[in-house]
Amino acid sequence: MSCAEVIRQIPLYCYGEVDSDAEERMESHFAECPMCREELARNRVFLELLDTREDARRNDDAASLLMACRTDLRQKLAEESRPPRPGLLDSLRRLAQFHIPLKVPVGAMALVALGFFGARFTPEKFGGVSASLADPTFSSVRSVEPDASGKVQISVDEVRRHMVSGRLQDPRIQELLLSAVREESNPGIRVESLGILKDSADSEEVRQTLLYVLMHDPNAGVRMKALEGLKQYAGNAAVRRTLATVLQKDDNPGVRVQAIDLLTAHHDDSLVGVLQDVVQKEDNNYVRARCSRLLEEMKASVGTY
Amino acid sequence: MHDAAGTVSARLAATASESGLVFDEARLIRAAQQGDQDAFERLVRAYDHSVLRIAMNLLRSPEEARDVYQEAFLKVYRNLHAFRFDCSFHTWLYRIVTNICLDHLRRRKVRKEESTVVQTAEGVVDRVAQLEEGAPHADPERQMWNRELSRRIEGALCDLTPRERTVFELRHYEGLRLRAIGEIIGTTEEAAKNCLFRATQKMRVSLEAFV
Repeated sequence: MSCAEVIRQIPLYCYGEVDSDAEERMESHFAECPMCREELARNRVFLELLDTREDARRNDDAASLLMACRTDLRQKLAEESRPPRPGLLDSLRRLAQFHIPLKVPVGAMALVALGFFGARFTPEKFGGVSASLADPTFSSVRSVEPDASGKVQISVDEVRRHMVSGRLQDPRIQELLLSAVREESNPGIRVESLGILKDSADSEEVRQTLLYVLMHDPNAGVRMKALEGLKQYAGNAAVRRTLATVLQKDDNPGVRVQAIDLLTAHHDDSLVGVLQDVVQKEDNNYVRARCSRLLEEMKASVGTY
Repeated sequence: MHDAAGTVSARLAATASESGLVFDEARLIRAAQQGDQDAFERLVRAYDHSVLRIAMNLLRSPEEARDVYQEAFLKVYRNLHAFRFDCSFHTWLYRIVTNICLDHLRRRKVRKEESTVVQTAEGVVDRVAQLEEGAPHADPERQMWNRELSRRIEGALCDLTPRERTVFELRHYEGLRLRAIGEIIGTTEEAAKNCLFRATQKMRVSLEAFV
C-alpha cells in the first residue's frame, strides 16, 4: 500500500470503517512508515478536538428541553386522536358523491352505523348502552368501514377514567406515580405523588426521579418536596453532588437554604469550595450568611484567594 | 464516539433488565399500529433522547430541535401503519429525523443564517459560546480556548454541505456506522464513505491551526 493510499484511508481507518484486509495492510504500513504514523496521530488529535465541541454542548437544559418536547408532543397527539365531529359528516357527504350502484349498499351501511350509535347513546331503560357518570368514557370514531356482508366495522377510541389502587410496592402503582411526578402538568399532583413516593426513596429509580425533579421541576414547591424525600440520603455521593449544584444554581432561596441543611447534615470538607463559591456569588443575604457561618464553623476562610 | 443504535439497544436492554420487563420492539410497533397509545408512547420514550440529540447536533438551536422532535414523531404517528418492517425501526425513524433536519439546514443555507453570532439588545452574542456557560468550574483560560475551538468547529461544520454535515454528525457525534447512515439518507455505503471523507478533509483544513 502506498503512502498516498494510506493517507486517503486514514480518516476512515480512525472510524473503523475500512475492511479487515485494508486495516491489516495499513497497520503493517504504519509499522514501517513514520510519516504515515505521524499523519495518523494528527488525525486522532483532530478527532479528539472535535469531541471537545460535543462536551461543551452538553448542559442541564437538555433535560428541560426533552420535557418540553414531550409535553408538546402529548398535546399534539391528543389533538390528532380527537378528530372534530364535522369530519364524520364530511365523510358521509363524500359517501353521497359515489356512483348510483354504490349508493344503495352504502346508504344501508350508514343506516346500520346510525343504528349502532343510536343504541350506543340511547338511555339504558330504552335498550341503549349504559354509560354511568362514575365511569366516564370519552369516545371518538376513528374510522367506519363497511364490508361486503353488510356489516360495518367502526373503530372507536375510548379514553376511560378508572381507579387504580394498590400498595406502593406494586410496580404498576410506582410506575404511575413516577410518571405523574415527571410528566403531570398539575404541580399539586406532582407534590402529592412525591409525598407518597419519597417513603420509597430506597429504590434507585425513585431516588433518581427525586434527583431529576430537584434539578428540573419548574415549581419550587415540588423541588422542596423532592428535597424532603432525599433527606435520608444526604450522605450519598450522587445526592450530595446534586445538592451542591442546587445550592449554586437554584433560583429559589428557600430551596437553596434547604439544600444547605441537607448538605451540612454530614461532615464533608469538600463542601468548603462550594460554600466559598456561594458566598462570593449569592445575592440572598440569608443564604450568604448561612454559608459564611458554616465556613467559620468548619474553620475555613470565607473567601478564596 | 459510540454506536448510537447500539447505545439505544443497550439502554433499552439495561432498562428492561432493571425493571424486569422485556423490551419487544416489534410487539410495541404492532400494538402502536393497532392504535395502542401507550405502546406508541413507549416507542417515543425509547428513542426520543436520540432524536433530540441528533436534531440539536445538526441544528444547534433548541427551538428548531423542538420543532424537529415534534414533526418527526407526528410523522411517525401518522405513518406508522405503513411501516412494514423492511428496515429497522430506528433506521426508519432516523431517516425521518435527518430528512427534516436536512430541510432545516437547506432552508438556512437559502436564508444564509449560518453565523452563530447574533445581534442582541446586549450587543453581539455568540450562541455557541453561550451554550458553554453551564460549565462554571472550568478554568477561564481553558474555557476561552474551548469557546474559540467550538466557534471554529461550528464554522467548519457550517461550511459543509447539508448532506456532508449530516453524514459527519451521524458518524462522528452519533457513532452510527456508515452503512446505517447510507440507509438513513438513502444512499450507498460507498457514497456515505466519500461524503465522510470530503467532510473530514474540509474540517481538517478549517481547523488546521488547532491540530
